[in-house]
Amino acid sequence: MKKNIQIAYIALFFLSLMISPVSATTGPQEQLRPTLSRLVEILGDADLKGDENKKERRNIIMTTISERFDFGEMSKRVLGATWRDINEEQRKNFTIQMTKLLENNYIGQLENYSGETIEYVGERVKEDRAQVSTLIENNNVKYPVHYIMTEKDGKWMVYDINIEGVSLIRNYRAEFSSILRTEKFDGLMEILKEKNQSFE
Amino acid sequence: MRQSIYTLVVLILILCFSAGQGWSDDTAETSSEAPVDVLQDDFLSDDYLDFEDDMYGVDDIYDPLEPLNRVFFEFNDRMYFWVWKPVKIGYSYIIPAELRECLGNFFNNLSAPIRLVNNLLQGRFEDAGVVVLRFFINSTVGVYGLADVALQEFNLEPRLADFGQTLGVYGLGEGVYVCWPILGPSNLRHSTGLIGDAMLSPLSYTNMTVDQGALYYAVNNINFLSLSPDVYEEMKKFSLDPYIATRQSFYDFRRNIVKMAAEGETDF
Repeated sequence: MKKNIQIAYIALFFLSLMISPVSATTGPQEQLRPTLSRLVEILGDADLKGDENKKERRNIIMTTISERFDFGEMSKRVLGATWRDINEEQRKNFTIQMTKLLENNYIGQLENYSGETIEYVGERVKEDRAQVSTLIENNNVKYPVHYIMTEKDGKWMVYDINIEGVSLIRNYRAEFSSILRTEKFDGLMEILKEKNQSFE
Repeated sequence: MRQSIYTLVVLILILCFSAGQGWSDDTAETSSEAPVDVLQDDFLSDDYLDFEDDMYGVDDIYDPLEPLNRVFFEFNDRMYFWVWKPVKIGYSYIIPAELRECLGNFFNNLSAPIRLVNNLLQGRFEDAGVVVLRFFINSTVGVYGLADVALQEFNLEPRLADFGQTLGVYGLGEGVYVCWPILGPSNLRHSTGLIGDAMLSPLSYTNMTVDQGALYYAVNNINFLSLSPDVYEEMKKFSLDPYIATRQSFYDFRRNIVKMAAEGETDF
Protein backbone atom coordinates (compact mmCIF):
# COMPACT_ATOMS: atom_id res chain seq x y z
CA MET A 1 0.00 0.00 0.00
CA LYS A 2 2.75 2.39 1.00
CA LYS A 3 4.58 1.56 -2.19
CA ASN A 4 1.51 2.44 -4.18
CA ILE A 5 1.43 5.86 -2.57
CA GLN A 6 5.11 6.35 -3.39
CA ILE A 7 4.47 5.43 -6.98
CA ALA A 8 1.53 7.81 -7.01
CA TYR A 9 3.77 10.63 -5.74
CA ILE A 10 6.41 9.91 -8.35
CA ALA A 11 3.75 9.78 -11.03
CA LEU A 12 2.34 13.08 -9.77
CA PHE A 13 5.80 14.62 -9.87
CA PHE A 14 6.29 13.65 -13.50
CA LEU A 15 2.78 14.75 -14.33
CA SER A 16 3.46 18.17 -12.86
CA LEU A 17 6.56 18.43 -15.04
CA MET A 18 4.44 17.72 -18.04
CA ILE A 19 1.76 20.21 -17.09
CA SER A 20 3.90 23.26 -16.39
CA PRO A 21 5.09 24.01 -19.94
CA VAL A 22 1.50 23.68 -21.15
CA SER A 23 0.15 26.21 -18.69
CA ALA A 24 2.81 28.72 -19.81
CA THR A 25 1.08 29.07 -23.15
CA THR A 26 -2.56 29.45 -22.14
CA GLY A 27 -5.14 30.73 -24.57
CA PRO A 28 -6.23 34.37 -24.95
CA GLN A 29 -9.50 33.91 -23.09
CA GLU A 30 -7.78 32.26 -20.14
CA GLN A 31 -5.32 35.13 -19.98
CA LEU A 32 -7.93 37.86 -20.32
CA ARG A 33 -10.35 36.43 -17.78
CA PRO A 34 -8.39 37.19 -14.56
CA THR A 35 -7.71 40.75 -15.71
CA LEU A 36 -11.38 41.42 -16.41
CA SER A 37 -12.55 39.83 -13.17
CA ARG A 38 -10.06 41.98 -11.28
CA LEU A 39 -11.41 45.01 -13.15
CA VAL A 40 -15.00 44.19 -12.18
CA GLU A 41 -13.83 43.64 -8.59
CA ILE A 42 -12.21 47.08 -8.42
CA LEU A 43 -15.28 48.72 -9.98
CA GLY A 44 -17.44 47.05 -7.34
CA ASP A 45 -15.18 48.03 -4.44
CA ALA A 46 -17.22 50.33 -2.15
CA ASP A 47 -14.05 52.04 -0.81
CA LEU A 48 -13.07 53.14 -4.30
CA LYS A 49 -16.46 54.36 -5.51
CA GLY A 50 -17.50 57.95 -6.16
CA ASP A 51 -15.87 61.01 -7.68
CA GLU A 52 -13.64 61.70 -4.67
CA ASN A 53 -11.85 58.37 -5.21
CA LYS A 54 -11.70 58.67 -8.98
CA LYS A 55 -7.95 59.32 -9.18
CA GLU A 56 -6.99 56.42 -6.95
CA ARG A 57 -9.49 54.07 -8.57
CA ARG A 58 -8.31 54.94 -12.08
CA ASN A 59 -4.68 54.45 -11.05
CA ILE A 60 -5.35 50.98 -9.67
CA ILE A 61 -7.43 50.02 -12.71
CA MET A 62 -4.86 51.24 -15.21
CA THR A 63 -1.99 49.41 -13.52
CA THR A 64 -4.10 46.25 -13.46
CA ILE A 65 -5.31 46.28 -17.04
CA SER A 66 -2.05 47.53 -18.58
CA GLU A 67 -0.78 43.97 -18.20
CA ARG A 68 -3.37 42.85 -20.72
CA PHE A 69 -4.24 45.99 -22.71
CA ASP A 70 -1.54 47.26 -25.05
CA PHE A 71 -2.25 50.99 -25.11
CA GLY A 72 0.96 51.67 -27.05
CA GLU A 73 -0.18 49.40 -29.85
CA MET A 74 -3.64 51.00 -29.85
CA SER A 75 -2.10 54.50 -30.14
CA LYS A 76 0.02 53.35 -33.06
CA ARG A 77 -2.94 51.86 -34.90
CA VAL A 78 -5.12 54.89 -34.29
CA LEU A 79 -2.58 57.17 -35.95
CA GLY A 80 -1.86 54.87 -38.92
CA ALA A 81 0.59 56.19 -41.50
CA THR A 82 1.20 59.44 -39.56
CA TRP A 83 2.96 57.36 -36.86
CA ARG A 84 5.93 57.01 -39.24
CA ASP A 85 6.20 60.74 -39.84
CA ILE A 86 6.50 61.88 -36.23
CA ASN A 87 9.56 61.68 -33.96
CA GLU A 88 10.08 59.68 -30.75
CA GLU A 89 9.10 62.59 -28.52
CA GLN A 90 5.85 63.16 -30.40
CA ARG A 91 5.06 59.45 -30.34
CA LYS A 92 5.56 59.37 -26.59
CA ASN A 93 3.34 62.39 -25.98
CA PHE A 94 0.67 61.07 -28.31
CA THR A 95 0.65 57.66 -26.59
CA ILE A 96 0.18 59.32 -23.19
CA GLN A 97 -2.79 61.41 -24.38
CA MET A 98 -4.32 58.55 -26.36
CA THR A 99 -4.06 56.17 -23.40
CA LYS A 100 -5.81 58.81 -21.30
CA LEU A 101 -8.62 59.09 -23.85
CA LEU A 102 -9.06 55.33 -24.07
CA GLU A 103 -9.10 55.16 -20.28
CA ASN A 104 -11.79 57.86 -20.13
CA ASN A 105 -13.81 56.08 -22.78
CA TYR A 106 -13.57 52.42 -21.75
CA ILE A 107 -13.31 52.75 -17.95
CA GLY A 108 -15.57 55.81 -17.87
CA GLN A 109 -18.38 53.84 -19.49
CA LEU A 110 -17.87 50.80 -17.27
CA GLU A 111 -18.08 53.03 -14.19
CA ASN A 112 -21.63 53.95 -15.16
CA TYR A 113 -22.73 50.36 -15.10
CA SER A 114 -23.88 48.82 -11.88
CA GLY A 115 -23.11 45.25 -10.88
CA GLU A 116 -22.15 44.18 -14.37
CA THR A 117 -21.42 40.55 -15.09
CA ILE A 118 -19.18 39.35 -17.87
CA GLU A 119 -20.17 36.21 -19.68
CA TYR A 120 -17.62 34.52 -21.94
CA VAL A 121 -19.12 33.43 -25.24
CA GLY A 122 -15.99 31.99 -26.79
CA GLU A 123 -12.71 32.70 -28.48
CA ARG A 124 -11.40 32.54 -32.02
CA VAL A 125 -7.67 32.26 -32.65
CA LYS A 126 -5.95 32.85 -36.00
CA GLU A 127 -2.18 32.45 -35.74
CA ASP A 128 -0.99 35.32 -33.53
CA ARG A 129 -4.34 37.12 -33.42
CA ALA A 130 -7.41 36.30 -31.43
CA GLN A 131 -10.84 37.53 -30.52
CA VAL A 132 -12.41 36.86 -27.13
CA SER A 133 -16.16 37.37 -27.22
CA THR A 134 -18.01 38.41 -24.10
CA LEU A 135 -21.48 39.56 -23.18
CA ILE A 136 -21.72 42.35 -20.66
CA GLU A 137 -25.04 42.75 -18.90
CA ASN A 138 -26.45 46.05 -17.75
CA ASN A 139 -30.10 46.68 -16.81
CA ASN A 140 -31.14 43.31 -18.22
CA VAL A 141 -29.72 44.13 -21.64
CA LYS A 142 -26.74 42.15 -22.88
CA TYR A 143 -24.13 43.85 -25.04
CA PRO A 144 -21.69 41.79 -27.10
CA VAL A 145 -18.14 43.03 -26.53
CA HIS A 146 -15.27 41.44 -28.47
CA TYR A 147 -11.69 41.89 -27.31
CA ILE A 148 -9.19 41.71 -30.17
CA MET A 149 -5.82 40.43 -29.02
CA THR A 150 -2.39 39.72 -30.41
CA GLU A 151 0.30 37.42 -29.06
CA LYS A 152 3.70 38.79 -28.06
CA ASP A 153 6.13 36.29 -26.51
CA GLY A 154 3.36 34.03 -25.22
CA LYS A 155 1.41 36.98 -23.82
CA TRP A 156 -1.95 37.83 -25.32
CA MET A 157 -2.55 41.59 -25.39
CA VAL A 158 -5.75 43.48 -26.23
CA TYR A 159 -5.34 46.02 -29.04
CA ASP A 160 -8.94 46.72 -30.01
CA ILE A 161 -12.41 46.51 -28.53
CA ASN A 162 -15.31 45.77 -30.83
CA ILE A 163 -18.93 46.33 -29.83
CA GLU A 164 -21.56 45.06 -32.27
CA GLY A 165 -19.19 45.41 -35.19
CA VAL A 166 -18.09 48.92 -34.19
CA SER A 167 -14.35 49.01 -33.62
CA LEU A 168 -13.09 51.45 -31.00
CA ILE A 169 -9.73 51.93 -32.69
CA ARG A 170 -11.08 52.26 -36.22
CA ASN A 171 -13.58 54.85 -35.02
CA TYR A 172 -10.82 57.02 -33.59
CA ARG A 173 -8.69 56.41 -36.64
CA ALA A 174 -11.45 57.74 -38.88
CA GLU A 175 -11.86 60.83 -36.70
CA PHE A 176 -8.12 61.44 -36.52
CA SER A 177 -7.50 61.03 -40.23
CA SER A 178 -10.18 63.63 -40.89
CA ILE A 179 -8.69 66.02 -38.31
CA LEU A 180 -5.11 65.43 -39.55
CA ARG A 181 -6.10 66.51 -43.04
CA THR A 182 -6.87 70.04 -41.87
CA GLU A 183 -5.13 70.45 -38.53
CA LYS A 184 -1.93 68.38 -38.95
CA PHE A 185 -0.35 66.52 -36.05
CA ASP A 186 0.13 69.50 -33.71
CA GLY A 187 -3.49 70.55 -34.12
CA LEU A 188 -4.64 67.02 -33.39
CA MET A 189 -2.60 66.96 -30.19
CA GLU A 190 -4.29 70.18 -29.06
CA ILE A 191 -7.78 68.80 -29.68
CA LEU A 192 -6.84 65.56 -27.94
CA LYS A 193 -5.54 67.37 -24.85
CA GLU A 194 -8.64 69.55 -24.73
CA LYS A 195 -10.86 66.50 -24.90
CA ASN A 196 -9.03 64.81 -22.04
CA GLN A 197 -9.27 67.96 -19.93
CA SER A 198 -13.05 67.91 -20.37
CA PHE A 199 -13.17 64.72 -18.27
CA GLU A 200 -11.27 66.21 -15.33
CA MET B 1 -57.35 37.87 -53.15
CA ARG B 2 -58.68 34.70 -51.55
CA GLN B 3 -56.05 32.64 -53.32
CA SER B 4 -53.23 34.81 -52.03
CA ILE B 5 -54.54 34.36 -48.49
CA TYR B 6 -54.43 30.59 -48.98
CA THR B 7 -50.88 30.82 -50.27
CA LEU B 8 -49.96 32.88 -47.24
CA VAL B 9 -51.50 30.35 -44.83
CA VAL B 10 -49.68 27.47 -46.50
CA LEU B 11 -46.44 29.42 -46.41
CA ILE B 12 -46.91 30.16 -42.70
CA LEU B 13 -47.62 26.50 -41.95
CA ILE B 14 -44.47 25.42 -43.78
CA LEU B 15 -42.49 28.01 -41.90
CA CYS B 16 -43.90 26.98 -38.55
CA PHE B 17 -42.88 23.45 -39.31
CA SER B 18 -39.36 24.38 -40.31
CA ALA B 19 -39.14 26.71 -37.31
CA GLY B 20 -39.97 23.85 -34.98
CA GLN B 21 -36.98 22.02 -36.34
CA GLY B 22 -34.78 25.05 -36.29
CA TRP B 23 -35.80 25.77 -32.78
CA SER B 24 -34.74 22.41 -31.38
CA ASP B 25 -31.42 22.75 -33.21
CA ASP B 26 -30.98 26.13 -31.64
CA THR B 27 -31.39 25.07 -28.06
CA ALA B 28 -28.75 22.43 -28.57
CA GLU B 29 -26.40 24.92 -30.13
CA THR B 30 -26.59 27.86 -27.77
CA SER B 31 -24.02 26.52 -25.32
CA SER B 32 -21.30 25.76 -27.85
CA GLU B 33 -22.13 28.60 -30.19
CA ALA B 34 -19.17 30.06 -32.05
CA PRO B 35 -18.77 33.80 -31.54
CA VAL B 36 -19.28 36.23 -34.39
CA ASP B 37 -16.08 36.56 -36.38
CA VAL B 38 -14.75 40.10 -36.31
CA LEU B 39 -11.14 39.02 -36.87
CA GLN B 40 -11.52 38.83 -40.65
CA ASP B 41 -11.24 42.58 -40.76
CA ASP B 42 -8.23 43.82 -42.75
CA PHE B 43 -7.95 46.65 -40.31
CA LEU B 44 -6.89 44.27 -37.58
CA SER B 45 -4.01 42.70 -39.46
CA ASP B 46 -0.46 43.50 -38.50
CA ASP B 47 0.85 45.21 -41.60
CA TYR B 48 -1.39 48.21 -41.03
CA LEU B 49 1.44 50.75 -41.15
CA ASP B 50 2.30 49.91 -44.74
CA PHE B 51 -1.14 50.74 -46.00
CA GLU B 52 -3.03 53.95 -46.44
CA ASP B 53 -6.26 54.62 -44.60
CA ASP B 54 -8.50 53.36 -47.38
CA MET B 55 -7.49 49.79 -46.57
CA TYR B 56 -9.26 49.95 -43.25
CA GLY B 57 -12.80 50.92 -44.07
CA VAL B 58 -11.90 54.40 -42.89
CA ASP B 59 -11.57 56.29 -46.15
CA ASP B 60 -13.77 54.08 -48.29
CA ILE B 61 -16.88 55.89 -47.16
CA TYR B 62 -18.25 57.98 -50.02
CA ASP B 63 -19.40 61.27 -48.56
CA PRO B 64 -19.44 63.99 -51.24
CA LEU B 65 -22.36 65.66 -49.46
CA GLU B 66 -20.33 66.17 -46.27
CA PRO B 67 -20.90 69.96 -45.97
CA LEU B 68 -24.67 69.52 -46.27
CA ASN B 69 -24.62 66.39 -44.09
CA ARG B 70 -22.83 68.29 -41.36
CA VAL B 71 -25.61 70.91 -41.38
CA PHE B 72 -28.22 68.18 -40.97
CA PHE B 73 -26.10 66.50 -38.31
CA GLU B 74 -26.01 69.75 -36.38
CA PHE B 75 -29.77 70.05 -36.80
CA ASN B 76 -30.29 66.53 -35.44
CA ASP B 77 -27.99 67.31 -32.53
CA ARG B 78 -30.14 70.32 -31.56
CA MET B 79 -33.24 68.23 -32.16
CA TYR B 80 -31.91 65.63 -29.74
CA PHE B 81 -31.06 68.01 -26.92
CA TRP B 82 -34.00 70.40 -27.39
CA VAL B 83 -36.81 68.03 -28.32
CA TRP B 84 -36.16 64.29 -28.05
CA LYS B 85 -34.31 64.33 -24.75
CA PRO B 86 -36.64 66.56 -22.71
CA VAL B 87 -39.69 64.75 -24.09
CA LYS B 88 -38.05 61.42 -23.33
CA ILE B 89 -37.39 62.46 -19.72
CA GLY B 90 -40.98 63.63 -19.20
CA TYR B 91 -42.35 60.55 -20.90
CA SER B 92 -40.23 58.21 -18.75
CA TYR B 93 -41.37 60.08 -15.66
CA ILE B 94 -45.08 59.73 -16.47
CA ILE B 95 -45.11 56.19 -17.87
CA PRO B 96 -43.60 53.35 -15.83
CA ALA B 97 -40.83 51.27 -17.37
CA GLU B 98 -42.94 48.10 -17.53
CA LEU B 99 -45.56 49.84 -19.62
CA ARG B 100 -42.93 51.32 -21.92
CA GLU B 101 -41.44 47.88 -22.41
CA CYS B 102 -44.88 46.53 -23.32
CA LEU B 103 -45.31 49.31 -25.85
CA GLY B 104 -41.86 48.58 -27.27
CA ASN B 105 -42.77 44.91 -27.61
CA PHE B 106 -46.02 45.90 -29.33
CA PHE B 107 -44.22 48.07 -31.90
CA ASN B 108 -41.70 45.31 -32.49
CA ASN B 109 -44.35 42.68 -32.96
CA LEU B 110 -46.14 44.86 -35.50
CA SER B 111 -43.03 45.03 -37.65
CA ALA B 112 -42.72 41.23 -37.86
CA PRO B 113 -43.70 41.19 -41.58
CA ILE B 114 -40.57 43.25 -42.34
CA ARG B 115 -38.33 40.70 -40.64
CA LEU B 116 -40.20 37.76 -42.16
CA VAL B 117 -39.94 38.94 -45.76
CA ASN B 118 -36.31 40.00 -45.42
CA ASN B 119 -35.22 36.79 -43.74
CA LEU B 120 -36.87 34.93 -46.63
CA LEU B 121 -35.22 37.16 -49.24
CA GLN B 122 -31.87 36.54 -47.59
CA GLY B 123 -32.43 32.79 -47.66
CA ARG B 124 -32.47 32.57 -43.86
CA PHE B 125 -35.43 30.20 -43.73
CA GLU B 126 -34.85 29.02 -40.21
CA ASP B 127 -34.77 32.61 -38.97
CA ALA B 128 -37.93 33.37 -40.96
CA GLY B 129 -39.58 30.46 -39.17
CA VAL B 130 -38.54 31.84 -35.81
CA VAL B 131 -40.01 35.23 -36.77
CA VAL B 132 -43.37 33.60 -37.54
CA LEU B 133 -43.28 31.52 -34.39
CA ARG B 134 -42.41 34.52 -32.28
CA PHE B 135 -45.21 36.52 -33.91
CA PHE B 136 -47.82 33.85 -33.17
CA ILE B 137 -46.70 33.25 -29.60
CA ASN B 138 -46.46 36.95 -28.77
CA SER B 139 -49.70 37.93 -30.51
CA THR B 140 -51.68 35.26 -28.65
CA VAL B 141 -50.09 34.31 -25.34
CA GLY B 142 -48.30 37.66 -25.24
CA VAL B 143 -51.63 39.51 -25.71
CA TYR B 144 -51.35 41.53 -28.96
CA GLY B 145 -47.59 41.43 -28.68
CA LEU B 146 -47.44 43.42 -25.44
CA ALA B 147 -45.23 40.81 -23.79
CA ASP B 148 -42.29 39.03 -25.37
CA VAL B 149 -43.35 35.59 -24.13
CA ALA B 150 -41.45 33.92 -26.97
CA LEU B 151 -38.19 35.21 -25.55
CA GLN B 152 -38.96 34.87 -21.86
CA GLU B 153 -40.63 31.45 -21.87
CA PHE B 154 -39.40 29.79 -25.06
CA ASN B 155 -35.98 31.41 -25.32
CA LEU B 156 -36.67 32.43 -28.93
CA GLU B 157 -34.38 35.39 -29.62
CA PRO B 158 -35.53 37.99 -32.18
CA ARG B 159 -34.18 37.41 -35.69
CA LEU B 160 -33.58 40.85 -37.08
CA ALA B 161 -33.59 41.51 -40.81
CA ASP B 162 -34.29 44.60 -42.86
CA PHE B 163 -34.41 45.49 -46.54
CA GLY B 164 -31.23 47.56 -46.54
CA GLN B 165 -29.45 44.49 -45.25
CA THR B 166 -31.09 42.31 -47.90
CA LEU B 167 -29.87 44.64 -50.65
CA GLY B 168 -26.38 44.44 -49.13
CA VAL B 169 -26.49 40.64 -49.07
CA TYR B 170 -27.42 40.77 -52.77
CA GLY B 171 -24.28 42.82 -53.40
CA LEU B 172 -25.78 46.23 -54.09
CA GLY B 173 -23.33 49.08 -53.37
CA GLU B 174 -23.85 51.42 -50.44
CA GLY B 175 -24.04 54.63 -52.43
CA VAL B 176 -23.43 58.10 -51.02
CA TYR B 177 -23.66 58.75 -47.31
CA VAL B 178 -26.65 60.85 -46.28
CA CYS B 179 -27.31 62.20 -42.82
CA TRP B 180 -31.05 62.80 -43.05
CA PRO B 181 -32.70 65.43 -40.88
CA ILE B 182 -34.56 63.65 -38.03
CA LEU B 183 -33.89 60.13 -39.40
CA GLY B 184 -30.10 60.44 -38.99
CA PRO B 185 -27.22 58.46 -40.55
CA SER B 186 -28.01 56.56 -43.74
CA ASN B 187 -26.79 55.94 -47.25
CA LEU B 188 -28.54 55.39 -50.53
CA ARG B 189 -28.88 51.64 -50.03
CA HIS B 190 -30.01 51.98 -46.43
CA SER B 191 -32.55 54.67 -47.37
CA THR B 192 -33.97 52.48 -50.12
CA GLY B 193 -34.23 49.79 -47.47
CA LEU B 194 -36.17 52.09 -45.16
CA ILE B 195 -38.71 52.79 -47.92
CA GLY B 196 -39.02 49.08 -48.66
CA ASP B 197 -39.51 48.28 -44.99
CA ALA B 198 -42.11 51.03 -44.61
CA MET B 199 -44.10 49.45 -47.44
CA LEU B 200 -43.97 46.08 -45.67
CA SER B 201 -45.20 47.57 -42.43
CA PRO B 202 -48.86 46.77 -41.69
CA LEU B 203 -49.34 50.45 -40.92
CA SER B 204 -48.99 51.35 -44.57
CA TYR B 205 -52.14 49.31 -45.22
CA THR B 206 -54.23 51.32 -42.78
CA ASN B 207 -55.79 54.65 -43.72
CA MET B 208 -53.20 56.52 -41.75
CA THR B 209 -52.63 60.18 -42.61
CA VAL B 210 -49.15 61.68 -42.84
CA ASP B 211 -49.67 63.39 -39.46
CA GLN B 212 -50.63 60.14 -37.81
CA GLY B 213 -47.65 58.42 -39.38
CA ALA B 214 -45.35 61.11 -38.02
CA LEU B 215 -46.92 60.78 -34.60
CA TYR B 216 -46.44 57.02 -34.70
CA TYR B 217 -42.79 57.51 -35.61
CA ALA B 218 -42.31 60.05 -32.81
CA VAL B 219 -43.93 57.90 -30.12
CA ASN B 220 -42.02 54.82 -31.31
CA ASN B 221 -38.77 56.78 -31.24
CA ILE B 222 -39.38 58.34 -27.81
CA ASN B 223 -40.34 54.97 -26.42
CA PHE B 224 -37.23 53.38 -27.92
CA LEU B 225 -34.98 56.15 -26.56
CA SER B 226 -36.53 55.83 -23.10
CA LEU B 227 -35.56 52.15 -22.99
CA SER B 228 -32.02 52.38 -24.38
CA PRO B 229 -28.87 53.81 -22.83
CA ASP B 230 -27.82 57.29 -23.99
CA VAL B 231 -25.74 56.01 -26.88
CA TYR B 232 -25.65 59.34 -28.71
CA GLU B 233 -24.59 61.37 -25.70
CA GLU B 234 -21.90 58.86 -24.74
CA MET B 235 -20.58 58.79 -28.27
CA LYS B 236 -20.48 62.58 -28.40
CA LYS B 237 -18.67 62.77 -25.08
CA PHE B 238 -15.83 60.50 -26.16
CA SER B 239 -15.30 61.61 -29.73
CA LEU B 240 -13.21 64.42 -31.17
CA ASP B 241 -15.45 64.80 -34.19
CA PRO B 242 -18.95 63.45 -33.48
CA TYR B 243 -19.97 63.70 -37.14
CA ILE B 244 -17.19 61.35 -38.23
CA ALA B 245 -17.68 59.08 -35.21
CA THR B 246 -21.39 58.69 -35.98
CA ARG B 247 -20.73 58.06 -39.66
CA GLN B 248 -18.03 55.48 -38.94
CA SER B 249 -20.16 53.70 -36.32
CA PHE B 250 -23.08 53.59 -38.73
CA TYR B 251 -20.93 51.97 -41.45
CA ASP B 252 -19.22 49.55 -39.05
CA PHE B 253 -22.55 48.47 -37.61
CA ARG B 254 -24.35 48.07 -40.93
CA ARG B 255 -21.43 46.35 -42.68
CA ASN B 256 -21.18 43.89 -39.81
CA ILE B 257 -24.89 43.09 -40.03
CA VAL B 258 -24.71 42.54 -43.79
CA LYS B 259 -21.56 40.44 -43.47
CA MET B 260 -23.11 38.21 -40.83
CA ALA B 261 -26.32 37.75 -42.83
CA ALA B 262 -24.28 36.87 -45.91
CA GLU B 263 -22.33 34.30 -43.91
CA GLY B 264 -25.44 32.85 -42.36
CA GLU B 265 -24.72 33.98 -38.81
CA THR B 266 -27.90 34.68 -36.91
CA ASP B 267 -26.61 35.84 -33.58
CA PHE B 268 -26.24 39.60 -33.91
